[in-house]
Amino acid sequence: MGEAGHDHRGGVSEPESVQLVGLAGSPGFAIGTAIIVDQGRAGVVRRRIQKHMADDEVARFDRAVSEAAQSLREVAERAGPRAVETSILQAYLLMVEDETLREDVERRIRIDLMCAEWALRSAVTEMSEQLRRGDDPYLTERSHDFEFVGDRLLGALAGRSRPLGAIPEGHEPGILVARDLSPAETATLNRERVLGIVTEVGTRTSHTAILARALEIPAVVGVKHLRQRVAHGDRLIVDGVHGRVTLLPGDAELSDAKKRSQRYYAMASGLRAARDQPARTKCGVPVTLKGNIELALEARIALDHGARGIGLYRTEFLYVDRRELPSEEEQYSKYREVVETVSPLPVTLRTFDIGGDKFASVFQVPPEMNPALGLRAVRLGLERPHVFKVQLRAMVRASAHGSVRIMVPMVASLEELRAVRRLLIEAIAEVDAAGHARAEYLPLGAMVEVPAAAILAEEFAREAEFLSIGTNDLVQYTMAVDRSSRDLTHLASYFDPAIIRLIKNVIQAGSFRQRPVIVCGAMASDPLAAILLVGMGLRELSMEATAIPEVKEALSRVTLEEAKDAAATAFEASTAEEVQLAMAARFAPMIADLLDPDELMASSRT
Amino acid sequence: MSVTHEGTFEVVNRLGLHARAASRLVQLASSFPCDIVVRREQQEANAKSVMGVLLVCGAKGTKLTVVATGERARDAVNSIGELIANRFGEEE
Repeated sequence: MGEAGHDHRGGVSEPESVQLVGLAGSPGFAIGTAIIVDQGRAGVVRRRIQKHMADDEVARFDRAVSEAAQSLREVAERAGPRAVETSILQAYLLMVEDETLREDVERRIRIDLMCAEWALRSAVTEMSEQLRRGDDPYLTERSHDFEFVGDRLLGALAGRSRPLGAIPEGHEPGILVARDLSPAETATLNRERVLGIVTEVGTRTSHTAILARALEIPAVVGVKHLRQRVAHGDRLIVDGVHGRVTLLPGDAELSDAKKRSQRYYAMASGLRAARDQPARTKCGVPVTLKGNIELALEARIALDHGARGIGLYRTEFLYVDRRELPSEEEQYSKYREVVETVSPLPVTLRTFDIGGDKFASVFQVPPEMNPALGLRAVRLGLERPHVFKVQLRAMVRASAHGSVRIMVPMVASLEELRAVRRLLIEAIAEVDAAGHARAEYLPLGAMVEVPAAAILAEEFAREAEFLSIGTNDLVQYTMAVDRSSRDLTHLASYFDPAIIRLIKNVIQAGSFRQRPVIVCGAMASDPLAAILLVGMGLRELSMEATAIPEVKEALSRVTLEEAKDAAATAFEASTAEEVQLAMAARFAPMIADLLDPDELMASSRT
Repeated sequence: MSVTHEGTFEVVNRLGLHARAASRLVQLASSFPCDIVVRREQQEANAKSVMGVLLVCGAKGTKLTVVATGERARDAVNSIGELIANRFGEEE
């Protein structure tokens, strides 16, 4: 994401506000002053002590341990036993009070005559190095936790019990501004003191964003050049719904933000209350809304937002940032965790959608001129059938624990789907031969994101047990617009009639062959587009968890007749703008409170 | 004179001695008054320390020797053996 607005601060007398654009990490609004979190680890005192001081140093260390443990217990208590962060806090507690650590520190104090800070830092560094040595991703993660615990103990030793969530005790509540927050820091955030979070790095699925959502702290992540622009104490508006930050807002912007914030929270509490209500149109036609997830932790968040199952579980994360392929066991345990969390509701597992372009993946794919059109997703899977079958076996085994469907990305030809089917049959036989349990029935579906598959939807519907339309890639491949291009965004609209007609073709094929069709992608999470899709005949949509309550609310205000009527009008249109305007003219007034300001702007032009 | 007991157990759960398993072992060991160590090949660690247990942490099929010295040593070894045999309470 780029930056918008001015690149400099305005005049001295009346500072101009600056708009910073990032990614919506966690919904909600916050108005407050910036607290810059210093990431640098404070230099550690290295003092050689006299032998007679050793008892005192050991006692200081013990006091630091009990203080740090005490503050962790308080946070855990506040968070409650079922909270996402509680298990992390409990692991920290075990580490803070660890006997091996204490013995090691004591030895360094008494024998090496190090002061407590020095002894602690060197003990922690050595242990984390040992943990990282095995190259085991799980232990590497624990080593970060261990360093975090070391930092907290150092803080306690310095007599400044480093406040949880980085805001000093007694400090006014504020908005954390940081390059990034470690999972550990995010987990110990204090909801009363931290009004909002803005980070320079991170994505919607990074730990900061996920935990911020779990804690219901508004967050915007991935704001470039953040720390060069924001100074400690600057006033900020954090809009975690749209991923925007206003720096040094004027009075008008402040009062506008306050109004929007009130409206948002009034609506959010209403929507939350409606969480367990099924999604249906005003006239009572049910629509199934599901969640898209990437990490197991998100499954719970999706259910909390009212998801009736997981329509897209992305599995790429298992293959990036590591050197070895994930084993069947590792994959099985990840899939199983999600399947069990969501059971009895269904989970759609998508086989890896990855190619040579995906950062540090384990796949060594030769460089390609055009990776989006290259060896990726199902093409890569079929080229490496042994790797692909490991994933299929793990998915087959996960089916023993709930309701599982398997979905194949980027299918362009029926041959590919057939080849996957053959591999799946082999995988099932292997799982059976190994004596593992599995579900009797395992639906295999194709993602429709290559125009060829949309055009041949009827043939695909004959052989696939379900079809899932991935609108983001379908737009990219149909409009020939790179998803990441910022100059071509005007062409990359899911309202384009070409897209609408392809989707229509898929819906018709599905209903002709009696196969479920679902849309997963950004289009499903846009209330206007969701109404259009339902009007076109879809009854299943999958989206980011945070969008579910809004889409549910939008659908409940529209009758199927109205949606069908609007879809018919949209189907006559010949440009993306005409489609969008037709939808906005009809429905924007009914759902103004649910729309993105840009969409409202677009609709006001009518 | 302190009593020493020991037993050797095979880690049978699928993921070896990871995550919650290590924490459970530490919590159980900490509930006994005696000294307890876990040993794997040349490595040895305090069973009441999550760091220690993680460092000797074994994959599935690893044989861990549990050695307890002092009060209720036999109980401690038996209970830990049972925990390991029961896959650390993880249902599979």
